[in-house]
Amino acid sequence: MVTWTGLEHFRVGRFNPPPPAIEADDFVYDLRPRWPRGEERGKSPAIEESFHSRRTFMETWRLPLSSSIRGKLISAGYTSLSSISSVSSTDLARETDVKITESEAFEILKMANQVTGSSSCNGRSSSLVNGARNAWDMLHEEEALPRITTSCSDLDKILGGGISCRDVTEIGGVPGIGKTQIGIQLSVNVQIPREFGGLGGKAIYIDTEGSFMVERALQIAEACVEDMEEYTGYMHKHFKASQVQMKPRDILENIFYFRVCSYTEQIALVNHLDKFISENKDVKVVIVDSITFHFRQDFDDLAQRTRVLSEMALKFMKLAKKFSLAVVLLNQVTTKYTEGSFQLALALGDSWSHSCTNRVILYWNGDERYAYIDKSPSLPSASASYTVTGRGLRNSSSSSKRVKMM
Amino acid sequence: MKPRSLLSQSPTTSLKLTTGCETLDACLHGGFPCDSLTENVAESGCGKKQLCLQLSLCAQLPISNGGLDGSALYLHSEFPFPFRRLHQLSRSFHLSNPSIYADHNDNPCDHVFIQNVHNVDHLFDVMSKIESFVKNSKTRLPLKLIVLDSVAALFRSEFENTPSDLRKRASCFFKISGKLKQLANKFGLAVVITNQVTDFVESSDGLSGLRIGNLRCLYSSGRRVVPALGLAWANCVNSRVFISRSDDSICQERREDDERSGSSYVSRRARRRFDIVFSPYLPASSCEFVITGEGICGRDAEKMDSTFLESGMVVREHQIDTRSLDKIAST
Repeated sequence: MVTWTGLEHFRVGRFNPPPPAIEADDFVYDLRPRWPRGEERGKSPAIEESFHSRRTFMETWRLPLSSSIRGKLISAGYTSLSSISSVSSTDLARETDVKITESEAFEILKMANQVTGSSSCNGRSSSLVNGARNAWDMLHEEEALPRITTSCSDLDKILGGGISCRDVTEIGGVPGIGKTQIGIQLSVNVQIPREFGGLGGKAIYIDTEGSFMVERALQIAEACVEDMEEYTGYMHKHFKASQVQMKPRDILENIFYFRVCSYTEQIALVNHLDKFISENKDVKVVIVDSITFHFRQDFDDLAQRTRVLSEMALKFMKLAKKFSLAVVLLNQVTTKYTEGSFQLALALGDSWSHSCTNRVILYWNGDERYAYIDKSPSLPSASASYTVTGRGLRNSSSSSKRVKMM
Repeated sequence: MKPRSLLSQSPTTSLKLTTGCETLDACLHGGFPCDSLTENVAESGCGKKQLCLQLSLCAQLPISNGGLDGSALYLHSEFPFPFRRLHQLSRSFHLSNPSIYADHNDNPCDHVFIQNVHNVDHLFDVMSKIESFVKNSKTRLPLKLIVLDSVAALFRSEFENTPSDLRKRASCFFKISGKLKQLANKFGLAVVITNQVTDFVESSDGLSGLRIGNLRCLYSSGRRVVPALGLAWANCVNSRVFISRSDDSICQERREDDERSGSSYVSRRARRRFDIVFSPYLPASSCEFVITGEGICGRDAEKMDSTFLESGMVVREHQIDTRSLDKIAST
């Protein structure tokens, strides 16, 4: 039994270290422009700072080395792992105040790389079960994950900054509400480079209905590049280095487009995705438009359909977790006969509704399109309006009707 | 499994089939797209058949003129098929595009294949034969357009209004749509399906008034209508286009000073409107058009005068529908 007391925190290093005399090389000044993303969930500045510092300053003394070597390194000023990894073994050995041999230096670097190689938190294994992580580490990781903006700041606000990676998000609505538009917008926005606050990744677009039109994607890509260029003009007036390198055609090249014409093809493709993404590691979003079309045909055995669908859902969840990407599934709407009357519900039945982590429902309210967070483990239910313009998804012009909390 | 390169087409737009009318083409950004199902919803007598016949002929135009350089397959489920109107349109089409037919000495009607469909099972039967037809046919122009007129008539008689029958009907919709999309994808076909409307009846669950697309309510001939076959069918098509007719008409007084008669006459045409209900790439827009002897043409004041003179057709009736046009054509 491990009792989690304050002592454990201290032993593992969970306290604010004294700030170093010199600033570490990798300290990041957050100069990235807030380009049209909603505000992330409000965090108190103190917690934000300590998380940040924890991420960047990793103590040398926690390395599994002999204490004498550790002492030498720290006295020489190598307090953070990043400072060690930036130096080569010969340089380390040559340092006059650090009296270590070259082989020792090599060992130190190997150790440092091992610890920083696995992401920030896995190095500290104070867990009993192999592979288990504690909630504190998971919170770190979740806070650190970037989100894909939808280009509509109201929508981003209710989504907590955008579509989250490592999650399966289901978006459903009546025909003509803008599901395909959201899909295309996300496949373009995931490619926004890191300097502009995006992920700089690629997209996989699985089209089951034939709704993807290249000219529309080109139109949205052009608008995205124009917006980026406009922001470069605002933010980096004196800093000509980061010009927008992307062209709309490059954006289209980075969308891997698959067209499936039957449910067997769909299942085969989903099974193949693991291999495909292992070969193309920079894929950051998988969009399926729509997941239901081929499954609403004649399935003699509905139980079989449920089995096939839950297998597919499981595969998507595994993909999302394994490669840290976002999976967006677009769904259709059907009428369900419940409690003596017909009501609107997302297609594929009740058992499918458990398969996704987040669910967003798109609907008409008067003459405006609204999005409503129907299911989410961490976000409150809220709705926001958006419009579909020639440039893609944008805020609706009626600024008075902002985010409605329920 | 390899992804398809999006930049393989140049220019990066999908091929479009022109409607033969500039105003409608402007609304559609070029015409009806290939590799996509477009649904044409209209009340009877609004011009669905005219548009379909015109498309079957325009498919034979060369690609540089907005056509698909191909033949058309017209599946019709409503009787009778307007043969006379097709002949009339094809005659004027042949006159305006002689180059396509000059070398081979055929006429436009040779490239429109007509098949009647009685019910849903017959349709499945026909669709299974289409693939072999496309591959093995020795016609000069390959098949590039499928018109299904109309899908609602197929489902009229066989299905009751019970939940289980409605479910069966819905799965038939997806089967038809899936098969047509597969054919469209494999051979690069454009598919146009027509649908009818039913009157809007306010029901307790409010689902019949469910808004689908850009228009809050669809009005035709002064009454509120709803596309037939419901929400399930709406999920099966890629784009939906609504043609409506209003009771007021466009009057035109013309004074013709020629030797035959120095009289003036008034023509009346019903005002027809073309709306985009939903589409993956088109903004919401609408335009007006009229139907002449030559076919559909956009309602543009100057243009209408000139085509009016050319067609030499005087329409005295308030309503235009295929029956009356056939009558006029045969005289």
